[in-house]
Amino acid sequence: MAEATNQNPQGAIESTVVDWSSDQTVFKGVPWGKAMMWIFLLSDTFIFTCFLVSYMTIRMTTGAPWPEPSLVFGLTVFGMNVPLLLIAIMTFILITSSGTMALAVNMGYRGNKNGVFWLMLATALLGLSFVGMQAFEWSKLISEGIYAWENQMEAAPQFGSIFFMVTGFHGLHVSAGVAYLAIIAFRVRMGKYDKKGYDIVEITGLYWHFVDLVWVFIFAFFYLW
Amino acid sequence: MAQAEIPYQESMELSHPHSWWTKYWFSQDHKVIAVQYGITAIAVGLVALVLSDLMRIQIAFPEWEIMSPDFYYQAITMHGMIMVIYLLTAFLLGAFGNFCIPLMCGARDMAFPFVNMLSYHVYLLSVLILLVGYFVPGGPTGAGWTLYPPQTITAGTPGNEWGITTMLASLAVFIVAFTMGGLNYITTVLQARTRGMTLMRMPLTVWGIFMATFLGLLAFPALFVSAIMMLLDKWIGTSFFMPAIVSLGEHLEYSGGQPLLFQHLFWFFGHPEVYIVALPAFGVVSDIISVNARKNIFGYRLMVWALVAIGILSFIVWAHHMFVAGMHPFFGFFFATTTLIIAVPTAIKVYNWILTLWRANVRLTVPMLYALSFVLTFILGGITGLFLGNVIIDVPLSDTYFVVAHFHMVMGVAPILVIFGGIYHWYPKITGRMLNDRIGRVHFWITFLGTYIIYFPMHYLGFIGTPRRYFDNLGVSDFYPMSAHYLNDVITIVALVVGASQLLYIYNLVYSYFRGEKASPNPWGAASLEWCTPQTPPEHGNWGDTLPTVHRWAYDYSVPGHDKDFIAQNEPQRSPA
Amino acid sequence: MASQGQQHPIKVYFLVWFLLFVFSAGSYYVDIAGFEGMARWFLILVFMLLKAGFIVAVFMHMKWERPALILAILLPTLFLLVLMYLMAFEADYAYATRVLYFGADPNAVALPPVTH
Ligand code: HEM
Ligand SMILES: [Cu+2]
Repeated sequence: MAEATNQNPQGAIESTVVDWSSDQTVFKGVPWGKAMMWIFLLSDTFIFTCFLVSYMTIRMTTGAPWPEPSLVFGLTVFGMNVPLLLIAIMTFILITSSGTMALAVNMGYRGNKNGVFWLMLATALLGLSFVGMQAFEWSKLISEGIYAWENQMEAAPQFGSIFFMVTGFHGLHVSAGVAYLAIIAFRVRMGKYDKKGYDIVEITGLYWHFVDLVWVFIFAFFYLW
Repeated sequence: MAQAEIPYQESMELSHPHSWWTKYWFSQDHKVIAVQYGITAIAVGLVALVLSDLMRIQIAFPEWEIMSPDFYYQAITMHGMIMVIYLLTAFLLGAFGNFCIPLMCGARDMAFPFVNMLSYHVYLLSVLILLVGYFVPGGPTGAGWTLYPPQTITAGTPGNEWGITTMLASLAVFIVAFTMGGLNYITTVLQARTRGMTLMRMPLTVWGIFMATFLGLLAFPALFVSAIMMLLDKWIGTSFFMPAIVSLGEHLEYSGGQPLLFQHLFWFFGHPEVYIVALPAFGVVSDIISVNARKNIFGYRLMVWALVAIGILSFIVWAHHMFVAGMHPFFGFFFATTTLIIAVPTAIKVYNWILTLWRANVRLTVPMLYALSFVLTFILGGITGLFLGNVIIDVPLSDTYFVVAHFHMVMGVAPILVIFGGIYHWYPKITGRMLNDRIGRVHFWITFLGTYIIYFPMHYLGFIGTPRRYFDNLGVSDFYPMSAHYLNDVITIVALVVGASQLLYIYNLVYSYFRGEKASPNPWGAASLEWCTPQTPPEHGNWGDTLPTVHRWAYDYSVPGHDKDFIAQNEPQRSPA
Repeated sequence: MASQGQQHPIKVYFLVWFLLFVFSAGSYYVDIAGFEGMARWFLILVFMLLKAGFIVAVFMHMKWERPALILAILLPTLFLLVLMYLMAFEADYAYATRVLYFGADPNAVALPPVTH
């Protein structure tokens, strides 16, 4: 079981010191691609956090009122206004896609090529539907007079600006992820990784879970706060 | 550690180029990419140099009327931005990083050669976008390299039509390029070292570049984010950074934005950027000094930890650039304190360089001259940095020529000297030929003495209140003593000489490539791994059939009881017979 | 050994998957039940951090990585906490100065926005 090799015999500090003072590799047993993906995600975390900190600063400094999210992001179904309904569905979809991705990684290490392919494809499709719903959400907001530069609610114009910018940036990440997933899925199917091993699925998974992770924060700060 | 197994290194597949294009243009060989980075950075750096000389002419001889105020501001901005980002960052990380990391760590290439190749081409693209600024309507932006809003966007600032857009776009593209390169450098250092190469056996050059890359990956995001937000402010009328504002009598359609937010984001990037430039320079200098002093670097471990400490601290000092910006009044105390704390590890490094020289058998080779002049220049610039780090001294000095003198000393001249020295040091390994010693010395003395004549008097100009970024000092500065005007003339004349003398160095690079003396594999008698390659210049894949095995640190010079005065890193320890 | 990678019983994934739904539902409940003020913010943050923690720990396998990697990725984010903390200070101050210079009514914009 791989578990055993990744577990550290010593305490956390000691194990860290031993790994960092060893030769060849610092992250033992971690493929290059995975190390790179982790570091990239760290850098990307800084990008998203800078966005979120800007959001915080702007919201705290504006004198104009900030709209109530549950009112703005409501959806009317059967004549009833359900707050955050669409967002609930989007969150649901993204979490589901994270689940299928996790299973795909697992299938990869079991050598179940078909399983990987279909699960990754399902993940990509879920991602695609997420982007679709975001497009719907955006057009709905725009039709209600909320633009990136102003809005018809007497609220701070920054409300739309920051919302469209950050969700847009996240949406770009999702779209890129969909393409990435699709490419890797088909390459798996073509047998490109039969010899090299299925680390690539795990690496793709890291990226995808990160996108989900960012959504967790966006969800809390933009839709609930 | 299992001797036989090098997990990913041995299985690494190198691309085998066939045509000229894949060999020299789209090459995936880190050494070729390093040279590409270097040439591009120098080329664009020459543009910045010409701009600086034009500015100097304007400052000293405004009556010649060689340029408009707009051109002056655009020149300032382009000069500053090119020097800091497209020359220094690109050269120290893109060129030195690419060349040194795999060779010094004993890797066949960077971990992801293809991404590395892309990194260079995206960098090239960013340079082109930057230069396009001179051809768009209105010319490049003239907002100063700090690009502070709201004036970056408002009418009256040159380049507010298109220039600011090309500038921000170019920066964003540069950041993408840097990220691709940077991920490579980090992964290679962490995961692709050869047998026996522990982190604490790496030459300080690699440590410096590694820490700088790490800072870059965490700091550039802030610039990226502010570039996006400013582009949105400019093009779709959001008000992230733009407050309600009346410009040229017109009520702009902005409201409620926070200009200070930009400054914070910019300097959250900007201060680490200073160290992105400084840390590789520290590393290279340490190695050059150690090699030419024929002594191990004094306090190697402390040098490493100082690099790490500086890297960490550099993230919590950023607002010392904003003491007069009107930020939270308590920040002055906080950021002044952290700024002064960062002087401690920095001073440790300086002491260690000096102690390395103590009673050493110093060889005054040309790279050593550059390295020593770096130490001197850095001390001087660092000390004025301590002045500016104190709020009460910064307030009257900020935005004067004292600041210009400070940052040119510490992050302008000093790293440039290291670049000269570093090229000189590694040129034999890159090309197989030595640079011409005589031209090298002439260039060194002109540049070294010249920059002191240029920047030393600027401190004085700053004390008497000469403002920074002024197009025409005569009109507004009748209060200067006449001596200051003469001083400006002298500075300009010397700046022209220094500027022109850079052609000497370039001539040397080209001339020696064809006519230089053939270099031996290890002309400086250096111990680090890059001098042990089977071929000079190393072929693609660097190490022939087997990777070297490292047995010691990179600083075994003048070891008693040894026949040579250095021991290469891959030489086995002698068993105590 | 290395290519074996991160292989764990599927059960764990399903458990976390389920928990994520529960926590998301929890956040909704905070909104629907109309919690206000401190309680609301506290609960939102708790659910957010729980979700984030489980995603990183299990889905991204961080729990099973060696401490060398965990620390290398997590420690640098402390810089972000510093940035956040200081910017919150700064924002408070900026807001205070706005009120001071542009009027006591905190809901007034300094200069009214000019609409298109
Ligand atoms: C012989 C070499 C150089 C000369 C003669 C020179 C000259 C100048 C001049 C005249 C200015 C404008 C000062 C003002 O009016 O306020 C300036 C600004 C600047 N220079 Fe240099 N410089 C040189 C090299 C460098 C280098 C190597 C760097 C690299 C860091 C650099 C970075 C900057 C920066 C960041 C600014 C500020 C731009 C701004 O205010 O927005 N310079 N330089
Ligand atoms: Cu600084």
